[in-house]
Amino acid sequence: MKFSATECLLELYEEKLELEDYQSGVPRWCNGCGDNAILTAIQRLCRDEGLRPEKTVFVSGIGCSSRFPHYMKTYGFHGIHGRAFPVAEGVKMARPDLTVFVNTGDGDCCSIGAAHWIHAIRYNMNLTVFLHDNQIYGLTKKQASPTSPIGTRSNTTPRGSYLDALNPLTVTLGVANASFVAQAVDWIPESLFEIVKAAYHHKGFSFVRILQRCPEWLPKLHEADMQEPDSVQLLHHENALQLSPGLSKVYKNQLRHDPLDMNRAREIASSTDVVPVGILYQNREIPCYEDTRRSTVLRTSDTVRKGFEAELDKYSV
Amino acid sequence: MEADLQAYVAFYLTGKKQPTQVDGIDGLKLRPALFSGFRDLTRLRYDYPLVLIDDPVDERYVESLSGLIDAILDKLAQGADGERIRKNVLRLEQGIRTLLSTGRSGLFSELWDQAAAPLIKADKLMADSLARARANLKTDGEVIDCTGNLAFRLLGHAWGMTQMQRARRFNADINRLILKLSDIIQADFINSDAGKTAENLRHAFGSGPLDNFNFDAMSRILKKVSARENLPKRRRQRVLDLISTLQSQQFFPTTGSKAGVPGSPPYSFAFDTCSDALKAYRERIPKAIELARAIAMAELEIKGEYSEAKHDALFESFGENGLDTEELAIFPDYLVRINATSLSGPEQSTLTEILSADLPIKIVVQTDDILEKSLIEHGHLTFTLRSKQLARMSMGMGIFVLQAPASSLYRMRQPIQRGLDYAGSALFSIYSGDSPNTAGIAPYLVGAAACESRLFPAFSFNPSAGRDWAARFTLLTNPQVSNDWPVHEVIYQDERIQTVTDPVPFTLIDFVACDARYSKHFARVPRTNWSACLTPVATTLAAEGRGQVETVPYLMMVDGENRLQKVIVDEKLIREARRCRTMWNSLQELGGIHNSHAERLLASEKKLWQESASQAEAVPAKTDAAPASAAVTASPTPAPATGAESEAERSPDEAYIETPRCSSCNECIQLNSKMFAYDGNKQAVIVDASAGTYAQLVEAAENCPVAIIHPGKPRNLNEAGLDELLKRAEVFM
Repeated sequence: MKFSATECLLELYEEKLELEDYQSGVPRWCNGCGDNAILTAIQRLCRDEGLRPEKTVFVSGIGCSSRFPHYMKTYGFHGIHGRAFPVAEGVKMARPDLTVFVNTGDGDCCSIGAAHWIHAIRYNMNLTVFLHDNQIYGLTKKQASPTSPIGTRSNTTPRGSYLDALNPLTVTLGVANASFVAQAVDWIPESLFEIVKAAYHHKGFSFVRILQRCPEWLPKLHEADMQEPDSVQLLHHENALQLSPGLSKVYKNQLRHDPLDMNRAREIASSTDVVPVGILYQNREIPCYEDTRRSTVLRTSDTVRKGFEAELDKYSV
Repeated sequence: MEADLQAYVAFYLTGKKQPTQVDGIDGLKLRPALFSGFRDLTRLRYDYPLVLIDDPVDERYVESLSGLIDAILDKLAQGADGERIRKNVLRLEQGIRTLLSTGRSGLFSELWDQAAAPLIKADKLMADSLARARANLKTDGEVIDCTGNLAFRLLGHAWGMTQMQRARRFNADINRLILKLSDIIQADFINSDAGKTAENLRHAFGSGPLDNFNFDAMSRILKKVSARENLPKRRRQRVLDLISTLQSQQFFPTTGSKAGVPGSPPYSFAFDTCSDALKAYRERIPKAIELARAIAMAELEIKGEYSEAKHDALFESFGENGLDTEELAIFPDYLVRINATSLSGPEQSTLTEILSADLPIKIVVQTDDILEKSLIEHGHLTFTLRSKQLARMSMGMGIFVLQAPASSLYRMRQPIQRGLDYAGSALFSIYSGDSPNTAGIAPYLVGAAACESRLFPAFSFNPSAGRDWAARFTLLTNPQVSNDWPVHEVIYQDERIQTVTDPVPFTLIDFVACDARYSKHFARVPRTNWSACLTPVATTLAAEGRGQVETVPYLMMVDGENRLQKVIVDEKLIREARRCRTMWNSLQELGGIHNSHAERLLASEKKLWQESASQAEAVPAKTDAAPASAAVTASPTPAPATGAESEAERSPDEAYIETPRCSSCNECIQLNSKMFAYDGNKQAVIVDASAGTYAQLVEAAENCPVAIIHPGKPRNLNEAGLDELLKRAEVFM
């Protein structure tokens, strides 16, 4: 129910929250870890959008990245390995009024949780998902993950890994109902923040793969990309992100890309010579599962009890 | 011939009929020639009668009979027997029309069965077609024809449907609020000691093996658990008050409120007079404010955002300025259906009061007579403008206005819906076409003729559609909108049995000719006297001014046996028709047709353009070169200026961080938190370069994963190992 004048008056009393209001504890991540940049970008988002802490939930699985909810002064659910998506979907289904974020890692999402990941894309529920992709298992001290580049030497692959890395972008773009796919890198904070913001504003399953440095176990992985600005290709379009003058000055390698062009998005996602950064695909027309399944029946204690009893009666002897 | 013309001119100027030359038209049963094909409407297929849909899908609250039949035929009349089914079902449609014309009424399905009964008896194939078509009849509702009460019924129905939808939304909202508020109370009860008694626990368990549990022990244990704070008394009372306010509202019939709540019956919102509606509205304002306030408070309570310190004062004075239209939008709208004849003095002023205050009251004014005689007798032929111009006058008040004859209502069903959805006043001015003075002509035809003759054009004005006339106002439902008069073809056979096709404009005079009260303004010219001195009415109307009267305007009419007659008219009618045309022209301008301002502007711009074009032709080379060279010299300067400025400000000796690129990794902060700190966006800055050593600055620069720390030059020139540090710092300069 909308109340024009009343609503305006009530908004006068809204509290303005600061960055500190969303910070909780000192992150236990290593110094120089890219997770810190992601944390900062998301805390900025919460502050700038005025998200109410009691209306915001961060759901995670297991891994370095999944410690994320501990560092947010909001609701959080540090779940079980690979199952961040089902938990988040349940939260959203029961409480569509909450803003739900998912923080997951390359192991959590692309290995043990891969099945949930694929179906979460297809369900297209209104969740904002950050895949902290450092391309290594860091918490357990260096084992190869599905996204580790071929030849990565680790405790489980001492002679170098044998398989080509899985590309989370092409996988997501290949699943039915994909509605928002973007890639960010933790070392360009401005673009990271803009992408995080766009993902939050997209209604649907917003999937952001963030290339994240692991200074402890793979310190050399992104060194070249960071030192050579042209190795990063910034995507821009009037229907997606626009580049600020400051950013354009440093990153000259730019590409105009229509986020509705799926075929082109898949091509860009597959590129190996540059690191594409920006929105690869966005389709605002795909319905959200929670909307198509929304019931108009009020959940009174009576209806809940009747529903339970009807279900249980099926098994009574 | 001269004598004829003199007699005609005498009639034209004075209205005096010379018996030998012209006849009166009383008793000749004349009607405009264009009406000749429309004697029996039941044999024609057109958009009326209408079916008022009981359970409408997406705003289609009314359908035309022929539209529904067509929908069935589209589905059914396929394949080999398609043509047979089509014929049979169309025959049934005609049967329904005939039934209606005899005064029958009822549901579509009922009339269908009545009309089908005699047809089925006679013919087996017919029975098959109709049975199959009947199985495809999915929608039902009352069938109404274009008669005197169409407007009230149709608009009443549409209004009812709109209110029903609103009630559904309202109920869903209210029930949700009540449930959530009750949950607050319920949760508090469960947490309280009273809620943890053995009896309550047993009750909460439901059915099953109750004996296996010791509820007393359970209760003891649970009571030991320190309960969260109970609901503060004030909040509890506030929530209870809100529940009772929401449950006792009378604006909509409630569906889900709990039984046993003492409630008064819901208010009625349909009225027959403006004063009754206004009185009811005023009486209910306090209740409406109370309810709107309760809803706003309930939303806050549910979210747990109600803060007594902030909100108490706000809600105490809630609604002191009344409710604005958005706030009123959740409440039902009032409907007043009134006949123009009862719009007497006080009622008229109440109407103006309502419209000027933009109250959420929808008013339907039905006019049965738009040729009402002027109260000023003695040759004043000005048809009273009272009810006819109500719509045009109301547009000035910035409310929703719709004017249409009853015959156009079906085509205007969408604007009607928009009017009913409009937040604020809406005026629907409808001409029924049902008058004893046009006896023998169907109201549908009279209504359509009023629209064609431009006397009662159909238009709608919707202030919510945009900010300018182009968005708000539309005339497009009228026939041939860009013409002064719509032109139709009269096809007849002359004395030599040759078919003649004559394009004839339908003017105000044609419309007046249908009305028995004005017969004295017309005179029939016997066929033997038809001559060149008679000229069609439209020609006379098109010629401006009076000048020398050399020809007399005539109208083509037909008698009861469809024989063509020429009827001359007097000058008073010509003058009236011109006035009617002027008013139509001004409406056209509002609707963007032949807009004089636009046309003038266009003409002057065109002239300017032509002038400049001819100048350009004279000196082609110079004009091209001049602006281009100017642009080249002007553009390059400003761009680099801003970049250079910001970079020049900083001295190369000073230590700094490219803060926007900082990835918040903590490296530098851990090294020296007095020298490095985070800004408001949690990105690093150097707050005090002298708070640490140059060695630390260089180390931070080296550790920074994104290499954005620039150590500058050392401040303390006595620092140990400076030479080596400066060497290491070189890469970050």
